[in-house]
Amino acid sequence: MATKLPALVTLNASDLAFAGEPQWLQQMRQSAWHTYNEMPMPWWRRTDLTAFAAGDMQLTYGASAGQVQGVAPAGVVVMPLTQAVQVHGDIVQKYLGSAVAATTTKFTALNAATWHDGWFVYVPKNTSVELPLHVIQGFGESNTLVSRNLIVLERGAQLSLVEQYAGSGTIALVVSEYILGDGATLTLAGMQTWDAGVRHMGHQIAHVGNDATINWTAIHLGGTHQHIEAETNLAGNGSRVDWTAATLASDGQRLLTAPWLRHAGRATEAHMDFKTVVKGTGYTTFDGMIKIEGGSTETITRLEEHALHLTPQARSDSIPGLKIDTNNVQKAGHASTSGEVDEEHLFYMQARGIPRDVAVHMIVMGFFETVLDRIPVEAVRDQVTTTIAARI
Amino acid sequence: MELVIKDLRANIGDKEILKGVNLTVKPGTIHAIMGPNGSGKSTLSNTIMGHPSYTVTGGEVWYKGHNILELEVDERAKLGLFLAFQYPVSIPGVTVANFMRAAVNAHRAEEGKDPRQTAIPMAQFRKEIREKMAALGIDEAFARRYLNEGFSGGEKKRIEILQMSMLKPSMAVMDETDSGLDIDALKVVSQGVNTLLQANPEMGVLVITHYQRLLNYIKPNVVSVMMEGRIVREGGPELALELEERGYDFIREEVFGNGN
Repeated sequence: MATKLPALVTLNASDLAFAGEPQWLQQMRQSAWHTYNEMPMPWWRRTDLTAFAAGDMQLTYGASAGQVQGVAPAGVVVMPLTQAVQVHGDIVQKYLGSAVAATTTKFTALNAATWHDGWFVYVPKNTSVELPLHVIQGFGESNTLVSRNLIVLERGAQLSLVEQYAGSGTIALVVSEYILGDGATLTLAGMQTWDAGVRHMGHQIAHVGNDATINWTAIHLGGTHQHIEAETNLAGNGSRVDWTAATLASDGQRLLTAPWLRHAGRATEAHMDFKTVVKGTGYTTFDGMIKIEGGSTETITRLEEHALHLTPQARSDSIPGLKIDTNNVQKAGHASTSGEVDEEHLFYMQARGIPRDVAVHMIVMGFFETVLDRIPVEAVRDQVTTTIAARI
Repeated sequence: MELVIKDLRANIGDKEILKGVNLTVKPGTIHAIMGPNGSGKSTLSNTIMGHPSYTVTGGEVWYKGHNILELEVDERAKLGLFLAFQYPVSIPGVTVANFMRAAVNAHRAEEGKDPRQTAIPMAQFRKEIREKMAALGIDEAFARRYLNEGFSGGEKKRIEILQMSMLKPSMAVMDETDSGLDIDALKVVSQGVNTLLQANPEMGVLVITHYQRLLNYIKPNVVSVMMEGRIVREGGPELALELEERGYDFIREEVFGNGN
């Protein structure tokens, strides 16, 4: 059963002393709560913070509204994080908060103090999970979802994971941490397919070890507001990311994605390809940054981001950035486009008898195809494709 | 049915390119249009098909009882018109097979009928496209590739002919199909067109070309010469050979005089 906590605006530190939680976690919560109260609200130009007002949040504790599909082989752990702190406390303690620090923003502090749901996935060293796992997080009985996913791949581990947020509710404050040990490979499809009305605040960081690889596909379709800050930290030497995203914003949706790509190790390689479609009064922001740290040499990095506008009122803002603190970059490239469906493409397809509306549909689906193609579970891929097709 | 072009005028922006084209393409004939660069040949083919960058300022194009200038591009295609593009575009994320199937099904669609009923059965489509790809020397793997993405010039032109043979138009316009083709690719492409002609002897073909070379492989019945936005001369196959030998200048002199 979910227990309602006092309204956030009247919540006290003592309300977060949940019975049965280990001492270290209680301390983490208290410290994060302190940070939350001390930190000012962030100043964000493109995210409407009134959609994430404290007065609208009603926190709960004690019920999990998650599901998992797929079977984890022996030794691999998939369980709600609240349970994992009891069963695998030592591993959780080691990694929880190691990628996304409570002090990042006021919202990550609130999350670290009050989280009540989310997933723990753990793949031991040199273990390959053959079949993809699919964890789904919803609101359940909560009005406000505060969840954390902690995904840990030890050295040489391999996993395909679909991490999905779905269902109806109001405000979701979610954090994901992906820890990839040396030589690990994570194929990740992170999707938000919320029902209309949900306001999504997400912070995600992948910490990639030596010679480790993350193939990350992000799908952003649902809710009315989205503010996602996602970082790939190529900390290890020879680490790699192949990072793609598909965002679709229709009438009334304001979806912001702020991907950070940090090259810190030597000889790291990154390919980013972010695709956005806006229609109706939909509005998206791509606020991306590639940072090549001083010690990162022989870096290869490429960022592509493309936006298609299906209606004149639809808007997309693109703010790509590149900061290089080293003299030794092997390759750094950037390409960006934004505009309507190409009339030459439409003419070509219509010249083959395909009606204009069908042609537009095919072109838009084709635009997303290279991203959707990377979702590791066929049923999920089909479902997402169908959802998008119905909305275009 | 004949394609009848009457006094067709078209602009790009403010510039008049077609200055009153009169031309009739009869069914079952191969009609070549030759002309120097900038004479308006490609504008003519694009205007027939309805390219949005060209503005028609006068004239009519009649086909099967319609002034097709009043029809949408896809309606012209469904009427049996086909344009083999000089520069086929690439469409990311849309495979050759899916594109072809959508085109075939669009041609089979009938008003008031559920498209699922009129759609080509999958097995039949696969068989047909496989056979036609083999005949054109296109590797089967191309069916799963994104349309024209990373294709060579010759591959793109073969895909154009593949589309033509799948859609079986009654009137095909081939816009500089020989450009960018080496001699081997030219032979394959021409053979594809000729095979299609044998199977559909009533098909009319308007072959637009700068050079006589293509006409060695696709033999025309009629040759028209286009200059400065008009058809200035019409003749038989011998006219193409004469142009090859003497160039365009002698016609220019005859038509416009020595003074220009």
